[in-house]
Amino acid sequence: MVDHLFRHQYGKMVAILVKIFGPSHLATIEDALQDTFLKASLQWRQEMPHNPEAWFIAASKNRVLDLLRQIRAREQREADFPHSSVAREINEYFLDHEVEDSQLRMLFLACNPSFSRSEQICFALKTISGFSQKEIANALLEKEETIKKRLQRARQKIKAEQNSLSYPAPSQIEDHLQGVQQIIYLIFNEGFHSNRRDSLINKDLCGEALRLCKLLLSKENFRSGAIYALFALLCFNSSRLESKVSNQEIVDLKNQDRSQWYLPLIQLGRDSLMRSLADFEDRSAYHYEALIAYEHIKASSFEATDWSAILDYYQQLYKLLPHDAVLLSRASVLLQMKKFEAARQTLNQIEASKLAARAYLYEAAWAELYSADAQWEQAKEHLQKAIKSCSNQLEQDYLKKKLADINKV
Amino acid sequence: MKDFMLLFLGPTYEELGLSPEELQERMGKWFAWGKKMEEQGILRGGDALYGHGKRVSGPDRIVSDGPFVESKELIGGYYTVAVENYEQAIEVSQDYPDFDLGGAVEIREVVKFEQQ
Repeated sequence: MVDHLFRHQYGKMVAILVKIFGPSHLATIEDALQDTFLKASLQWRQEMPHNPEAWFIAASKNRVLDLLRQIRAREQREADFPHSSVAREINEYFLDHEVEDSQLRMLFLACNPSFSRSEQICFALKTISGFSQKEIANALLEKEETIKKRLQRARQKIKAEQNSLSYPAPSQIEDHLQGVQQIIYLIFNEGFHSNRRDSLINKDLCGEALRLCKLLLSKENFRSGAIYALFALLCFNSSRLESKVSNQEIVDLKNQDRSQWYLPLIQLGRDSLMRSLADFEDRSAYHYEALIAYEHIKASSFEATDWSAILDYYQQLYKLLPHDAVLLSRASVLLQMKKFEAARQTLNQIEASKLAARAYLYEAAWAELYSADAQWEQAKEHLQKAIKSCSNQLEQDYLKKKLADINKV
Repeated sequence: MKDFMLLFLGPTYEELGLSPEELQERMGKWFAWGKKMEEQGILRGGDALYGHGKRVSGPDRIVSDGPFVESKELIGGYYTVAVENYEQAIEVSQDYPDFDLGGAVEIREVVKFEQQ
C-alpha cells in the first residue's frame, strides 16, 4: 500500500465534504470520516481492496448521503443542498481537479485572519494533513491539551463566522497568499529545526509542507516568484534532511556527507529557483533564503563555500526582514570568513531576548568568537549559557561536545 | 494439534483517537501478522469486532446496550490458531500489534470432541 495513503485521503475527503456542506459542519464531517478510516483499518486487516483509493471515494460518497440526512434532521429545515440529482452532482465534487481545488480552499481557510498563527498551524495539520492531536503535540513539542484547546478555538471561530469555502476576494488574495506561504514555511521549519530524537515525525512535517507548496503551485493564477522561491528553499533543505542527524547525533553543515544529499530534490529546487528569478518580477525573503541554501548546496565542500556571496544575500534579506535572527546568521557567516571584528559588531547589535528559542545559538556564536581568539574562559562561559538555554536534547549534546573540546585545550 | 483462541483485549482505536496515519500503520501490521500465520498454515479463522453491542441476560432475557466492561477488558477481535500447545500459542502472540497501546492477548484452548 502507498505510504501515507490514509493521511492524504483523509485530507482530500475533508476538503471535498467541507466544500459540499460548508466549514460550519467541520466537526460533524471529521467525526464521520474518522469512522470511515477506523472501519477501513479493521476491515483491511483480513483483506485489502484492490483499489484502496477507490474504496475511500466510494465510502465518502456514502458519507455525503448520511451527512445530508444527519444535518437536515438536525437543522429541521431543507438546507440548500443538492436534492434530486444528488448522485450526479456529488460525483463532480470527486473529480481530481475539483479535489485539488477544495484542498487549496482549505489552505486558505486555515489562514483565517481571526486565527492566531499557532491556531493556523494546528488547524492546517489537523484538517488538511490529517494529524491527530497527539501527533501535532509531538511535532510541535506542546502538550496535547494545548493543541486540543487551539483546535477547539479554531473550530468555534469558523462556526461563528459562518464561512463558506470560497477564495478570498481578489483584493485580499495577495495578503492571504502570504499567510498561506508563511504557514507552509513554519510547518517545514518545525520539522527541519526541531531535531527530535524521533525523527520520523520531523520528516512527515517537511513532507507535508512540500506537498502543500506543490498544491499551491498547481493553480496557475497563484503562482509567483515568492512561491517558487519558497518551494526551492524547501527542496534544498529537504535534500539534506537525511544527513543532518546520524546515530542520534547532530551533524553540522561542515561535517555532513555531501554525497548523501538527495540529488533529485536539489535539481527540483534549482529549477524552481531559476523560474522564480527569471519568470517573475517580485523578490521576497524566500528568494534570498533559497539563494543562501543553494550556495551551501553548490559548494563541493564546506571549505569551498562562497561565503561572500552568502553574506551579500543576508544583507539583502535583512533589508526585507530586519530581524535579529538574520543578524545572527550574518554574524555566523562573518565568523566563517574570519572577519572577527565585524562579527563582534554584528553580535553586539542583537538583543538576545528577541531570539526566543534560538537564543542558545547567539551564545554559541559568542563562544565561537572567543574561541577564535583563544579566550577559552569566556568561550566556556558562553557555551555553558548556551547549553542552559537550549531545550533540545540533540542540540544540547552537540554543544556539550564542543565544551568538552575546549576543556581539552 | 490443538486449537487455541487468541482474544484481543484492550481499548479500541476509536477511544485512543488514532490518526489516519497511525490507523494505516496498525492495519499494515495486522495484515502482515495474518498473512504470516496463513503461510504457516496455522490460522483457522478470526475477525475484528466493533466496540458496541447488545447483551441478553437473566431469566427475563433482559436486553441491554454495550459496551459492558472497562475498555481495557473490551474484546476487539479474535483469531483461532492450530498449534501444539500453549507455548506455541504464546509464541504466535508475540506478533500481536497492539501491546504498546495497552492491549493484551488472552489465550484459551478450544474444547474439541474426541472419539472414544
